[in-house]
Amino acid sequence: MTLPSGLVGLGGGERTPIAWPDRLTVGFIAVATLVFLALPIAIVVPMSFSSAATLTFPPPGFSLRWYAAFFGDARWHQAALNSVLIAAISSTMAMLLGTLAAYGLVRGSFRGRRLIEANFIAPLIVPPVVKAVAIYIAYARTGLLGSYLGLIVAHAILGVPYVVLLMSVAIRSFDQRIEQVAASLGARFPTILRRVLLPNILPSLAAAWIMAFIVSFDEIIITFFVFGRRETIPKRMFTSLEQKIDPTITAIATLLILVSLLTLAAVALLLRRGGLLRRGGAVGPV
Amino acid sequence: MAAATTEKAPGAGLLAGSGVAFVLPLLAVMAIAFNAPILLMLSWSVSNPPLSLEHYREIFETTLYARVLWTTVRIALATTLICAVLGYPLALWIRGLSPRARIIALALVVLPFWVSILVRTYAWIVVLGNAGIVNRTLLALGLVGSPLSILYNELGVLVGTVNVLLPYMVLPLVAAMARIDERLLQAAASLGAGERTIFRRVFFPLTLPAFAAGMILVFILTLGFYITPAVLGGGRVPMLSNMLDLLINQLPNWELAAAISTVLLVLVLAFNALSAALRERAA
Repeated sequence: MTLPSGLVGLGGGERTPIAWPDRLTVGFIAVATLVFLALPIAIVVPMSFSSAATLTFPPPGFSLRWYAAFFGDARWHQAALNSVLIAAISSTMAMLLGTLAAYGLVRGSFRGRRLIEANFIAPLIVPPVVKAVAIYIAYARTGLLGSYLGLIVAHAILGVPYVVLLMSVAIRSFDQRIEQVAASLGARFPTILRRVLLPNILPSLAAAWIMAFIVSFDEIIITFFVFGRRETIPKRMFTSLEQKIDPTITAIATLLILVSLLTLAAVALLLRRGGLLRRGGAVGPV
Repeated sequence: MAAATTEKAPGAGLLAGSGVAFVLPLLAVMAIAFNAPILLMLSWSVSNPPLSLEHYREIFETTLYARVLWTTVRIALATTLICAVLGYPLALWIRGLSPRARIIALALVVLPFWVSILVRTYAWIVVLGNAGIVNRTLLALGLVGSPLSILYNELGVLVGTVNVLLPYMVLPLVAAMARIDERLLQAAASLGAGERTIFRRVFFPLTLPAFAAGMILVFILTLGFYITPAVLGGGRVPMLSNMLDLLINQLPNWELAAAISTVLLVLVLAFNALSAALRERAA
């Protein structure tokens, strides 16, 4: 899922009321739309505790059978293991390479930086299915279809734009003169990196890693195209959705929502500590 | 945010040389794993027979592909329109809320971003299916004699795409509305403009660039949708992405798949450039 421009302008004071064409209509549409937005989540969570094997809502009774079905199924275990493994390795790769590149882009003075940055952001703009087709053809020609290596690299590429964007902001907002002072005092690059820069950008670094992790963990289309017979959680959810209605999916969905909310909270906390997200202040168009 | 800090004297700091070495590892990986596959795809689209536009001709001349292309564009247009009609009032309403309520409303808008698209799509099966909430309610109220088919057709797909893409419309609008200088509105009022006039002549024009950019964003994101039409369309509403799945995974025709992907890519890049130009003007 792409990054919303959602870190923008959360706060602010009272606004002078302006008139809109029809207050009542606007209010009605707005509330109905909010309900519409939240509805899927409000439906799936109670459904996961249903005792019925059909999709009746509200659920006729309470049970944990769908959670038991998930935790008792070896194929789901394997899918979960694959998901975590691929997300962990690909996000680490994206974080390391992306942070290094962000440092070069922000502090460097070489030509073509804008072009190179555009190249790093490009995976965000190319539609997922186009990437899937391109990578499928490339992997089919090199024997990487269905391999862990292939999917890990593909997912790392997906995480790169998020890491580069986040870390560029973080590095730019860290005063370069502090690094220069350290250098003039005789510290070499590894020391400056470890003792000066890293401690200061650590929260953003963690946020970027989590971001890249989620991007990989949620990814379906490329996984569906290039991972062959192997499965990840989203891929298995998708294939079983296409075949039959299996309420086990609601249990996994609920677990995923829980994980998402926890990581979201972690990211918000980290970004605030990193000073990227301020309440009440107009962060403005970044 | 960072306008003043980027000036640097040559050789300042700890970069040995220009710093290009920091960028090279990622550049190398991207070149192999992203740029090369995209270029390979482009070359496949004009191969076999070599260097011909045969496959592009096929897309536009075969009724089936032309129809899928048209379905995709139609769904994207409809999604954009519905998102605009629902999103603008929502953003407007959020603007008028108290700061605390505004945060809660925005959280509700952003929340779906963090929930897998599969989960959100799945929920609509429960709501819209023949035995779903909507139909059982309508049947119980005696409003319809037999279940309405809302699922596994274009309507079902539209519900899904709008639900997923609404935040992309609402968030830029909320940001644009927050950026409007309140004094402009007060000035208009003090000059005797009525509320409706202020909205029509001052407020709305100021939000227009963000509104247009939001619509373009929704449009291009819908063009590439795969999950929603596959699940909520039940295979009966093929969009470009589903066609690509078929061409790659079922009846291998990579040249044609590459050509369709290229058409999709060009469409998306063109609209993206348009959107960037609009953002530039808005800033």
